[in-house]
Amino acid sequence: MNDTQLFDTTRFGTIGYTDADVVLFEDGLVGFPEHTRFLLLCHKAESPFRWLQSLDEPQLAFLITDPANWVATYAPCVADEELGRLGFVQSAPRLVYVTVTIPAGQPNEMTLNLAGPIVIDLERQIAVQLVLQDETYTTKHRVFPQANRVSAVAA
Amino acid sequence: MLVLTRKVHQSIVIGEGIEVVVLEVRGEQVRLGIRAPKDVTVHRKEVYQQIHDENRSASEVRPEDIPS
Repeated sequence: MNDTQLFDTTRFGTIGYTDADVVLFEDGLVGFPEHTRFLLLCHKAESPFRWLQSLDEPQLAFLITDPANWVATYAPCVADEELGRLGFVQSAPRLVYVTVTIPAGQPNEMTLNLAGPIVIDLERQIAVQLVLQDETYTTKHRVFPQANRVSAVAA
Repeated sequence: MLVLTRKVHQSIVIGEGIEVVVLEVRGEQVRLGIRAPKDVTVHRKEVYQQIHDENRSASEVRPEDIPS
């Protein structure tokens, strides 16, 4: 059961993993219901970014990050009822990630989707992407100041 | 698409156990109440669509664009 298996990915080459590494999204991510098995990969050592690599499709990987690295006050209202239905246990340690969008060639335009957090139950290796009901957080939370504003100040 | 006319406080029932009630109509806004089993998720479509779009974008990030 703990034998290392190999998976060929488009971005990261061949990856070795064991069953214990697999994170199960029973419902998939929003818009991707058919992809349920993922690996959580580090982008680089010391990097705040991770990749959620699909084990069902070699080319599918989502860039994610711990929102606490960027938005210290981030505290989405998550109904334990909803998580409980999915098999989450309240006492189990959880990780929260959000997806990251970076337009090609424009790292300064990076945004975080704070309205659809991904929650992982570390003990059971199960995960879900929530759609927050309250409108406190946006799907395009800008992280860096807008470039034109910076140049305006400089000028 | 099935089209039905309802008055305030009238409802429609979808399948077993899903009920949508018209609570209030004020100008262009309609308040709906939704009763559904716990395993049925209900979302505002535009939010759901935006999250779908963001997921797609997050799957298209080029590794070379990621800040170090």
